[in-house]
Amino acid sequence: MSGTGSADERKVSSLRELSPAIEPPRDLWPQIEARINAERRSAPAAQPRPARARAVPPRWLAAAAVMASVAVGVCKAGASAAPTALDVAYVSDPRYQRDRAALMKSLQTRLAALPPAARAKVMASLAAIQRAKQDLQSALGKDPGNALLQELLVNTYQDEMRVLTDIHAASDAGRGI
Amino acid sequence: MGFSRLAAAMTVLFASAAACASGDKTFERQVPAEAHGVVDISNVNGTVVVSGWDRPEVSVRAELSEGVERVDVSTDHGRTTVKVVQPHSGHGGEADLHVQIPKDSELTVSAVSADVATAGVTGVQRLNTVSGDITAELGGSDLELKSVSGNVKLKGHGQPARLHVSTVSGDVHLEHGAGELEAGTVSGTLVVSLDSARSVRARSTSGDVHFEGKLARGADFDATSVSGDLNVRASADAGYAYEVSTFSGDISNCFNATPSEHGHLPGHTLQGTRGDGAGHLRLKTMSGDVQLCDRK
Repeated sequence: MSGTGSADERKVSSLRELSPAIEPPRDLWPQIEARINAERRSAPAAQPRPARARAVPPRWLAAAAVMASVAVGVCKAGASAAPTALDVAYVSDPRYQRDRAALMKSLQTRLAALPPAARAKVMASLAAIQRAKQDLQSALGKDPGNALLQELLVNTYQDEMRVLTDIHAASDAGRGI
Repeated sequence: MGFSRLAAAMTVLFASAAACASGDKTFERQVPAEAHGVVDISNVNGTVVVSGWDRPEVSVRAELSEGVERVDVSTDHGRTTVKVVQPHSGHGGEADLHVQIPKDSELTVSAVSADVATAGVTGVQRLNTVSGDITAELGGSDLELKSVSGNVKLKGHGQPARLHVSTVSGDVHLEHGAGELEAGTVSGTLVVSLDSARSVRARSTSGDVHFEGKLARGADFDATSVSGDLNVRASADAGYAYEVSTFSGDISNCFNATPSEHGHLPGHTLQGTRGDGAGHLRLKTMSGDVQLCDRK
């Protein structure tokens, strides 16, 4: 109805463009809940599932668990409990924190969107970055003023951001293409 | 629209419709293009093979498997776009694209799992894949290449250019490059051979870096890694000053220089000058081993 809209009216082509603050006109949950409860009451007693169904977790669940562990590992390393002075200086940069937090928030989803072979390799690379950060932090613990280690640690932080950004872009690629 | 134009348009439409109806999965299309125009190509799965030619047109031939919706080819103001369209369900098939473009075109290829190969393109190339491998011939213009897990093979002809290559886990092999190189990987291996380098910056987290080549007068060379080894065989007519640092790796060289230790602190350093010392070479690693030689 293009002829009836006001001049500043714009088309919404995606749900993402809608404001999350807008509430539905009425709360539908009480009705939904009542209906679910009614169906539960009328349904026959639940049959026990075959043991095999519980013993073998679906493959996607295993993959999700691995991705979650990588994501948690990356998160934990980013907020290390005993950071070096360099960590504090670098990681406390608000722009870095903001950008990294935004990328970490969607890491699991982004990893899931990659082709399986690529996902496995990327997860191995993220693990390599984790190890590198831990090794550098550990070495800096022994020699805190070592300029070489400081430079390599900053490089590694930058590389981690590059990889997170690349994963972000890569998971978008299929949609964009 | 004259009758002959209308007839031609109808013929193309009927031909396309007939191709679709018969299940024939071959697509062909030619469009006029500018000699120095822009060509954008995108494909999710399959292959993208691009070659440069002398004609002012873009020719697209594609073999499409079940699940590919269509190939869109459009041209507008010097920009030609070739796009393999997958169905919205996301269960797309593969498309093998063979695209010929004017050789001086500025080329951009975006792929997900599709392998990409280019040859005979002398304009700027921007090649991106997620897991697809990339093989490219360098044509003397700048190249920007990015892949997440795909392997990269580049072959040049010693013409100087600015080369930017980055992967997350993919290996990079570059032969007969020249000019300026910036290469980075997390866990891939970088194997680089440059005929004449003005500037080299190579960075890796755990992957090894192998460099072989000649540095131009006054060239700058920087390579760093955390745990990957650095193996550099760099010659230079006017020599270079070198500085090698490692925290826990070993340093070896082919000119019998002895690394120095840092007193009671861990780490080794090797510093000195070869020839006139016109260039600068710096190699830094935490636990990787370093090999340096000034002979190819």
